[in-house]
Amino acid sequence: MIAVHVWRVMDRTVLMISTLLALAGALWGAVTVHRGLRTRWTLGLIAGAFAAQLVFLDLRGEARGACPLRDLGEILVFLAWALTLFYLIVGRSYRLSLVGLFTAPVVVVFQVLALWPGVMTQSPERVAGVDAWREAHAAVSVLAYGAFALAAVTGVMFLVLDHQLKEHHLRSGLFRDLPPVRELLASVKRLLWIGFGLLTVGIVAGFMMPHRGGWSHFIAAVVVWLLYGGLLLLQQWRGITGRKLSMVVVVLFLLSFGVFFAV
Amino acid sequence: MELICVGLNHRTAPVEVRELFAVAPSKLGEAARDLREQLGVEEAVVVSTCNRTEIYVAGEALAIAKLQEILGGEEHCYQSNRMEAAVHLCRVASGLDSMVLGETEIFGQVKNAYQAALEAGVTGGVLNRLFQKSFSVGKKVRTETGIQEGATSIGNVAVDLAEKIFGHLKDSKVMILGAGEMSRVTAQSLQSRGAHSIFVANRSYDRALDLAQQMNGQAVRFDDWQLVLEQVDVVIGSTGAPHVIVQKADVEAVRRKRKYRPLFFIDIAVPRDIDPAVAEIEEVYLYDIDTLEQIASEARVRRAKQIELCEEMIREELGKAKLLGL
Repeated sequence: MIAVHVWRVMDRTVLMISTLLALAGALWGAVTVHRGLRTRWTLGLIAGAFAAQLVFLDLRGEARGACPLRDLGEILVFLAWALTLFYLIVGRSYRLSLVGLFTAPVVVVFQVLALWPGVMTQSPERVAGVDAWREAHAAVSVLAYGAFALAAVTGVMFLVLDHQLKEHHLRSGLFRDLPPVRELLASVKRLLWIGFGLLTVGIVAGFMMPHRGGWSHFIAAVVVWLLYGGLLLLQQWRGITGRKLSMVVVVLFLLSFGVFFAV
Repeated sequence: MELICVGLNHRTAPVEVRELFAVAPSKLGEAARDLREQLGVEEAVVVSTCNRTEIYVAGEALAIAKLQEILGGEEHCYQSNRMEAAVHLCRVASGLDSMVLGETEIFGQVKNAYQAALEAGVTGGVLNRLFQKSFSVGKKVRTETGIQEGATSIGNVAVDLAEKIFGHLKDSKVMILGAGEMSRVTAQSLQSRGAHSIFVANRSYDRALDLAQQMNGQAVRFDDWQLVLEQVDVVIGSTGAPHVIVQKADVEAVRRKRKYRPLFFIDIAVPRDIDPAVAEIEEVYLYDIDTLEQIASEARVRRAKQIELCEEMIREELGKAKLLGL
């Protein structure tokens, strides 16, 4: 009985630690950028938050005996994990260190929502009869949303820089530290392609999985896939201004995220 | 024990004089050892870069004239002793005495010069502590002040902005409207940071050809500049025309073909070459000469304040250190 209680507290404690590390990363990043200094601590703190997310997902996965994507709280944490993962891989390799400063607050919001009373099941039940297609659909789709989330974060960074360049507000530490316009736009496009590729796999897996609860969830996923596909097609074929691309990426992420959970 | 610094640099001596007294990095230790033997001083360090050759010595009853003779007499030399010599070394290590203010290469060069003298066994209690202190002060100045920040000329402001928009300029194409001196200087700054394709459009095609040749670029007939607009990333307007050259409609006409890629206009002409309405187009960033000058002037003011701050920091740090020979 005591062991069960300790375990129940442990997963939430690990998630709180992860959230606090991400919050510290966001605050420290903001302070150093404001002072016009550079820091590696943001990356270190976010890497720490990522490690704690892994421990949380491992604990929940063990308890479920399946991929921990069974309630809204778990989905939010998985999404925060995917977002952090893409930041650590994509953001770092494109030398977009400041992405961390913009990513950390989003991770904090997702995880605070997950920790909100009633959002996450306190005692996760073991899943009976795990379906491989359903597991693949859920995991890959959330990874895709991680890429779309980071594309939206990068889009926000572009909008900030674009505004500063247009209005000739060039003195802030943020302006100095933001990556160039062209790199930000290239990064948004790469992340969109990665997310679209992953979502395609998720859709295929979703088609194959049993649909006992109806097709509305699958149809919503296909609509999201079509919207992102359409945006990529438009961008590739006709071209689109950086401002419109960034705004659409942000709106599309918020919209599809909302629709996804509503259905 | 007294400390003396004698030297010549880019401000006091022309290159043909500086090159006579330059010491190769591999010979710095040997030069310091020779100096100690020649002058009978106790400690010596020789710092030599393309812009300066300086001798730091510590000993009893030092003869400045003898040191100046080594550097060709007093005509091109400067000297300082005790605290002023220590301040000078800290200024040098911090990049405050460099041709490009705040440059970082000098820090490594001073460190190598000291290391060579240390290995040659010609440093002691005075110069060891002084040079170590100058390195910590140099680091502090760089990390705690904004001495390197902000471009102070119109050309450099334009280049910094271009890099903020396009990142590395090696994939960027530039078009110059007008073959005047200002556009040449600005285009050269862009070229020095990697911009490779330069198009020159000028009313006099011969002048366009001339400038294009100087810049390894391509001359364009003035009536054809709209065709080139499709492919370039940066446009520098610097004609002497009494009216606007680039209208909003000109840019609107090529947006689709450009796939709405960012376009940076640098308008350094008076009267202006580029209609301010062009800036209303989403992917266009337009900076005219007043805006560029204002940015450069703000940076100059900030830099002057930073220099004062650096000087104070150096004196405060040296005051706290209580070094021998000061």
